[in-house]
Amino acid sequence: MNATARPLMSSGPTWIGPAVLAVAGLTAPLAMVDYQLIFVAEILIWGLFALSFGLVYGFGGMLSFAQALYFGAGCYGFNLATFKYALGTWGALASGVAAAMLFAIPTGYIATRVRQHHFLIVTVILSVLTSAVLTSGHWRWIAGPYVTRSLPFVPAVPLGPFEFSFGDEIVAYYFTIALVALAVALAWRVVSSPFGRALRAIGDNEQRSALIGLNVNFLRWMMFVFAAGVAGLAGTLYTLLARYTNLEFFEWTYSGKAVVAAILGGASSLAGPFAGMAFYLVMAEHLARYFQQFTIVFGVLLLIVIRFTPDGLYVTVARRLRAELIRRWRGGPTL
Amino acid sequence: MELLPVLVLNGLVWGLIVALIALGLSIIFGLLDFINVAHGDFFMVGAVLAWVIIDVTGNFWIAFAIVPVIGLVAGALIERGVLKPVENDASLSIVASFGLSLILQEGVRATYGATPKRILDPIGGITIPVFGFDYEVYRLLAAGISLIAITGFFLFLHRTKFGTWMRAVRQDRETAIALGVPSDRIFMVTFGLGTALAMLGGVVAAPLTSVEFRLGLDVLPLCFIAVIIGGLGNLPGTAAAAILLSVLEGMITSVVEPTTARIISLVLMSVVLLVRPQGIFSRS
Repeated sequence: MNATARPLMSSGPTWIGPAVLAVAGLTAPLAMVDYQLIFVAEILIWGLFALSFGLVYGFGGMLSFAQALYFGAGCYGFNLATFKYALGTWGALASGVAAAMLFAIPTGYIATRVRQHHFLIVTVILSVLTSAVLTSGHWRWIAGPYVTRSLPFVPAVPLGPFEFSFGDEIVAYYFTIALVALAVALAWRVVSSPFGRALRAIGDNEQRSALIGLNVNFLRWMMFVFAAGVAGLAGTLYTLLARYTNLEFFEWTYSGKAVVAAILGGASSLAGPFAGMAFYLVMAEHLARYFQQFTIVFGVLLLIVIRFTPDGLYVTVARRLRAELIRRWRGGPTL
Repeated sequence: MELLPVLVLNGLVWGLIVALIALGLSIIFGLLDFINVAHGDFFMVGAVLAWVIIDVTGNFWIAFAIVPVIGLVAGALIERGVLKPVENDASLSIVASFGLSLILQEGVRATYGATPKRILDPIGGITIPVFGFDYEVYRLLAAGISLIAITGFFLFLHRTKFGTWMRAVRQDRETAIALGVPSDRIFMVTFGLGTALAMLGGVVAAPLTSVEFRLGLDVLPLCFIAVIIGGLGNLPGTAAAAILLSVLEGMITSVVEPTTARIISLVLMSVVLLVRPQGIFSRS
């Protein structure tokens, strides 16, 4: 029997990958020095940002250049809660995610009413509009002094009777990976729920999905809002870790970072955007030593990946590896 | 208000240039069926090439003659090399054009530099009095050139065999191919033509702005607005929307600041999208 004819996703154990990652994540502080841990935490945060694009594009079929808006909104929500209401770390975290999702409700409603090219244009225009409002210096009641303000103190994380300081790299690391893992678990739950399947059906054939009674616009809107929450969490975690925000985070070209990483890794899987972002950041770190305009390399890589492995590097490699392992496992013909 | 006529005139000049660029975006969308995110960067490359050619030869009109030809050839090559392999997937085409945009921007930053540069007025800064103001003649000339180019483009579409083929492919791709229209060549020329229009816009606009690698990022949203309000793929609608919007923005600028005017026109566009996603000049 031909091994490739079987659906690969359902054959073989699915818990091995997450288990290996969990062990690697928990034991990393044994093998790494402080700045490396922070780098890993940064990769996870930006990976979460890329995942937010993966959720709308890979799982929802919406090519969005607005994810940076919600990353920025997360930073904004964090700052608002910290400086205006003095809510502490947990409150600021919740506020960041809430700000992103609340902002996505009206903007996502406008965007998801239209399709394809219109959708792309709307996401760009919404980003340009928001950046224009924020940089204009008018309407200070909208943004106030909270958009770009860096944390002047080291945040503390109260946990029951204990209080941990974010100044300790180990604390920052574990806090970040715990929340990123939580978000990924939630995202996995969402994409494998009936809601996630309905969205995949819409991506496959919108007309048929509408005919069997799916509320296409509403489902796309809800996915957009959920992904915005993921981007908002990434923004919040970034503000917490780097203690820095920038108006640049709102610009649509900044979403390009998520687009590039997610597509390089593979936007239609949960791990792909993380793999793509890890590749992006490690490469950028090395390339930046030689020339400043290293982004050009990613432009070229993007074209190559789209041409030869449109599913993304990680997804393609993982699929091959998986097929090969299963073949060996079952004693079939090897490659 | 005394300033109003001048601001409206400025709006008209810019509107004609944006119309020229947006037409390129619109014709590419109409035939190749994807939104070219790198379109603004082609405009930027046009302006940068104009600067370089003027730097070498000292003559604006040489740049004016050469740059659109470079655009035509480069566009055709890019269509064949980059876009052809992904032409069946609209999303991938858009992502490919984003990759192209990164390459163009960073490429220009690496070679031309990041500092904005200026081009001297090619007709020596002559001014004429308009409504009591000294108005630069080059602005009027730029508007005239754009108008001629736009007219030429429509004549090409409606009066030549190739233009008719293009309209045929746009109307019904399969029938056109079945009747023997060489669609591959048409796609190549269309993308080249769109790129040439953007680059011509870049040359014409270069003496009016400062030339830098981020120039395209300001123009692309303007083209998007024109294309949405005019109706995606509706060419006369796109041109009309670009001119109308720019004049309107000029009028608003006489009352409020330019940033506020831009924000108002962006909000206007969002409203149009919500109420009439097919554009205000197209039938549903």
